[in-house]
Amino acid sequence: MEVFLSVDRLEKSFKNKKVLHGISFEVRKGEIMAILGPNGAGKSTTIRNIMGIIYPDAGRIIFHGYNEIPRKKIGYLPEERGLYKNVKVMDILLYLADLKEYPRRKAKERALAYLKKFDLEGKEDAAIEELSKGMAQKVQFISSVLHEPELLILDEPFSGLDPLSQDMLKEEIRNLAKNGTAILLSSHQMNLVEEMCDRLFMIQRGQKILYGSLDEIKIEYANFKCTIRGKNEKNRLVEIPRVEKVEQDEDWSVLYLEKDVHPAGWLKQLPEDLDIRELKMDRISLHEIFIDIATDKNLLNGAEQWNSMEKTGEADA
Amino acid sequence: MRNTFKIARWEIKKNLKNKSFLIGLFITPVLFLLFGFLGSWLGGEPDDEQTVKIYVRDELNVFTGLEETIKQHELPVELEKTEAAEPEAKKALADAENTGYLFVDERAVTEGRIPFYTNEDFPKTAIVQIQLLAEPVKMLNLQRLGLSDEQLTQVTKPVYIDHETASEGKSSGEKGPDLDRIVPGAFAGAVLLSIVFTGMMIFQSASQEKKDKIAEIILSSATPGELMQGKIIGYFVLGLVQVAVFICFVFPFLLWKLSDFPLFEYLFVPELLLFLLIAILGYLLFASIFAGLGATISDISTVGNFQSLVLMIPIISFFFIQPVFHNPDGVLAQVLSYVPFTSPVILLFRLIILEEWSWMEISLSLAVLVISVLLFMKLAGKIFKVGILMYGKNATPGEIWKWLRT
Repeated sequence: MEVFLSVDRLEKSFKNKKVLHGISFEVRKGEIMAILGPNGAGKSTTIRNIMGIIYPDAGRIIFHGYNEIPRKKIGYLPEERGLYKNVKVMDILLYLADLKEYPRRKAKERALAYLKKFDLEGKEDAAIEELSKGMAQKVQFISSVLHEPELLILDEPFSGLDPLSQDMLKEEIRNLAKNGTAILLSSHQMNLVEEMCDRLFMIQRGQKILYGSLDEIKIEYANFKCTIRGKNEKNRLVEIPRVEKVEQDEDWSVLYLEKDVHPAGWLKQLPEDLDIRELKMDRISLHEIFIDIATDKNLLNGAEQWNSMEKTGEADA
Repeated sequence: MRNTFKIARWEIKKNLKNKSFLIGLFITPVLFLLFGFLGSWLGGEPDDEQTVKIYVRDELNVFTGLEETIKQHELPVELEKTEAAEPEAKKALADAENTGYLFVDERAVTEGRIPFYTNEDFPKTAIVQIQLLAEPVKMLNLQRLGLSDEQLTQVTKPVYIDHETASEGKSSGEKGPDLDRIVPGAFAGAVLLSIVFTGMMIFQSASQEKKDKIAEIILSSATPGELMQGKIIGYFVLGLVQVAVFICFVFPFLLWKLSDFPLFEYLFVPELLLFLLIAILGYLLFASIFAGLGATISDISTVGNFQSLVLMIPIISFFFIQPVFHNPDGVLAQVLSYVPFTSPVILLFRLIILEEWSWMEISLSLAVLVISVLLFMKLAGKIFKVGILMYGKNATPGEIWKWLRT
């Protein structure tokens, strides 16, 4: 896939506090690339640097095929949601499309089609302040895609939406990617991202933790874990071969396995006298990796880079 | 630049569609007119058409001549003969309204004056019109006297009606001000005020954009500079719209009220261009300050002392109007013309009242103004760029100072 945007060793400090430490990644046409990380990790700062709203202290942002930021070719949904309160939906959509130099007539047609698609038919003459928060958010999403951008940057697009609207939005984002739009999406809602992103970049305290395709990352970092319900002594479980760590919560025990464990083989050698009422075998989810990183619990043995940084104290807050 | 004009157009359109702006747009001239009319109704303004009654003690037998003159000039005057002497007349006038006593006697011939006593509130216009009644007396003089040189001199000597109110009032004889300065000056002042007040809306608009968190979306398409300039131009046009609406309401009213006053002759003089230049520079100065300031405030109700002080800047000039009026050439007036914040209003005001202009001073003052406009636009741009994206809190003076230094 053709690369549209390259972020190269981006650094940024605020008030002598470094918030980005040499961030590098690419966004390709037709893919959904996710930036993940807890609040305050540096996601929005990275995005604002890409948008040219703030300027990096070091590093480069390259839009392939353009000498400068192709503002007209980018759609942007900022994390901080807002629109002019006492202005009609259609007026604001046309104004924002006009700023992107998108033809007015085409913008109007597309706006009406999108409003219909997002269950906002007939709301074009309503003022933003008359809409619910979720509705206003959908209008804002429409404003970011109305001018058919080549790169769509969505900062926390799902926050504040009900599950139905989230699905609608997911579907639309997938369609846009299918039609060749490069999509950069930031979120802290792992389950949603896991379902739709092609590649991801995980960031914590302004530093890269993980970067690669979803599958690669899962194979590389997300070891298998076995969840058992039953009354079992923790000491016995730890002694089972290839178990790295055990967490217990009343009747529930989670056995974290070593990398490259073959699940079927491992299951066969479980002691016969274990109390097993329920058993589940799966990989550590993106959500767990994320929580792991966010709470610095270091379940994630694969992320050695992170650990070494933690030890040397490089990762300042 | 394209974006600047798009943003300007948007600000104009957004406000012209906004009910509260439209109400404000029309309420000012309507209030102006309302007070104009109320003044006429409540103040019982001396009306041109009020009929006055004049008692004539006619010792020269010119009553018919007087009546003919009144008819000829269609004066709103009712004449009646009287035998009352001057002391009686004065007494009678104490309780009278719109009444006068004219004593046409030998004094008209010998001293060339006709004593005329009126009550205190006698209409001023009527006093002027009554001067016409001297004509028949003059004619009588011609008839009576022969045509010798001496007599002729006497006859050509102007005869005037010497007006006195019964309560020994004095005539007011203030020199009229220079109207071809005042009219364009007042007009430019109105333009300046109008656009400065509209300019204050830049402050609101920037602050609202910050509060509504839309700035970031706009800045994904336009630069902060374009956004700020767009606002400044947009609200400038809105200020002109306000002026235009004002003109549409007030000019017809003024032309009707001052029927013989050549308003446009006084207005369209070369000085108007200079006055308007000062007004526009003043606007640009205040507008850039407001734009910068608006970007530092997202909640007007918790705004600190520093920002409230800055909001007061355009009003400062008006505190000095009184001393400057009394001494337009004084040190205070001169210094204030060179201080950027006060120079637009004070300079404009001084140019209106000063008899002679010092072009040196004017050029210096304009130079100061132009340089400050450029400087403040740059500084405001810096504040605007950082401030507009700082959501959810007002900037502290310390932070603003830091942004200015970067």
